[in-house]
Amino acid sequence: MHHTRRVAFGIALGVSAAMAATAAPAQTPQGPDEIPTERVHSDISTREIAIKSNFTGIEIVIFGAVDYAPPDPKAPPYDVIMVIRGPTQDVVARRKERFAGIWLNGSSKVFHDIPGFYAVLSSRPLRAIAPEETLNELKVGFTALDLGPDDHSSVSDDLFRQAVIRNKEERLLFQYLDNAVSFIGRSLFRGTVDMPVNVPIGVYTAEVLLFQDGKLLSKDESTLNVQKVGFERGVYILAFRHPVIYGLLAVAIALLMGLGAWALFRRD
Amino acid sequence: MLQVYLPIAEISVNLLVILMLGGAVGFLSGMFGVGGGFLLTPFLMFLGIPPAIAVATGANQIVASSVSGALVQWRRGNVDTTMGGVLIVGGLFGSIIGVLLVNLLKSYGQADLTIALGYVTFLGTIGTLMLAESVRALRRERAGKPVKGRRPGEHSWVHGLPFKMRFHRSKLYISAIPVLMIGAVVGILVSVLGVGGGFLMVPAMIYILRMPTSVVIGTSLFQIIFITAAVTMLHAVFNQTIDILLAFLLIIGGVLGGQYGARAGQNLRGEQLRALLAIMVLAVAIRLLLGLVITPSDLYTIAPVETPRW
Repeated sequence: MHHTRRVAFGIALGVSAAMAATAAPAQTPQGPDEIPTERVHSDISTREIAIKSNFTGIEIVIFGAVDYAPPDPKAPPYDVIMVIRGPTQDVVARRKERFAGIWLNGSSKVFHDIPGFYAVLSSRPLRAIAPEETLNELKVGFTALDLGPDDHSSVSDDLFRQAVIRNKEERLLFQYLDNAVSFIGRSLFRGTVDMPVNVPIGVYTAEVLLFQDGKLLSKDESTLNVQKVGFERGVYILAFRHPVIYGLLAVAIALLMGLGAWALFRRD
Repeated sequence: MLQVYLPIAEISVNLLVILMLGGAVGFLSGMFGVGGGFLLTPFLMFLGIPPAIAVATGANQIVASSVSGALVQWRRGNVDTTMGGVLIVGGLFGSIIGVLLVNLLKSYGQADLTIALGYVTFLGTIGTLMLAESVRALRRERAGKPVKGRRPGEHSWVHGLPFKMRFHRSKLYISAIPVLMIGAVVGILVSVLGVGGGFLMVPAMIYILRMPTSVVIGTSLFQIIFITAAVTMLHAVFNQTIDILLAFLLIIGGVLGGQYGARAGQNLRGEQLRALLAIMVLAVAIRLLLGLVITPSDLYTIAPVETPRW
């Protein structure tokens, strides 16, 4: 009994060690003799956001620290970019056209897999941290979002693309926050972002990228789950998964309340 | 303060504003004996509730208000259930057509426009008619002439149609065809606009079907319960646009407001108030129309992709 358990434990250790080896970022080779390079670790102030009846939006804090920072006072400062991505959805952008004096939806374009929430926080303006190609490669910033084939031949396509970004920005679902990441000392940092009341539900990822001198040193990622809870969750699940029961319930409540009102205020 | 998150509309609204809106509309309907859905739904849209949810939830709210109203009429024996039954059959056809239409329009991004245009047309027409009627009545009153009632019934095109049925309570022997048609038109209105449709049903009963006025209100309310209940079900299944919490809050406000409205209505003189209601209805129509003709600040809008369910 004891013996088998120890074997199982040993296997588990071996597996996790192997996983750690494959998961280790390529840019931080850690040979026995080498001086370890910087590594970034991060986490979010909350792993779960519960949408309840009093939900009006929430501020989340993403914090982290730089490990193996060499004690070199002349080294250039670190820069941090944080990218928070919400669950993706297909979005249709429509252009209003005037017809007989009335503005109605005319031509449209569908964009697939657009993040429902997308925020980029940085310790300095993005361009000052790294060149554009690096940022695009890392999919940082609105221009790096995959908004369909980039054929610059069609002007209207570009207008639709800008419209998606503009609309999302207005609803605070896309945010660019320069200087939203602040360092506490040399290797500790934090960034805050406001999630609005209309945040889509689902799993979010918060990617933290550590830069120095325009080069990516290390990155880390954590996840955040936005869920409706309690009554709101029950209502939502019932409405979308059991719509017949939901409809019957809606009708029954209204019928009973109408009946109750009549019984309460009857004058005969 | 007192913000409450609506689980289906997915916005946070002020609890007191919603209760007051339900109360105000209930007050008006208690005072004037109108359903009030034609005011409730536009005001929900002004508050930022998506139009499709405002419409469907409005229909859900009317289930409650029409039950209370119909029970009062039922106790007085003012409901023609045969007439109501035929209207319901027509109304169910109309509601199915309407709900599928909303579903199709939603996937083309034209639902909001259709709802707004529908409201501009109906509120504009009703408001104008009501205003003209009350101005005429006020003038007559000032001139000292008695306010004229409706003309006695006479034969119309309705009486020449086949499939005649006997409606005992209404003392009528008429074709079922116009009854079904009126039911269907009201069913479409309920499902597309989220109104009870009483403003159309009542005149149609009086002027087209020539029903006795005593059974008109009761029968209209009776059939509206079934039509709004069916529309609530259909919207819940096809469009997922019923916000049960919003409906609950509106019903509470409406019930309380309705009681005060009914009491206030007994002590107040009608014609001036009717003119006031007409002006309010016209103001809402104009506000909705302006939203359609004024050049929007952003010509582009975005929405989640929706595919029709049929």
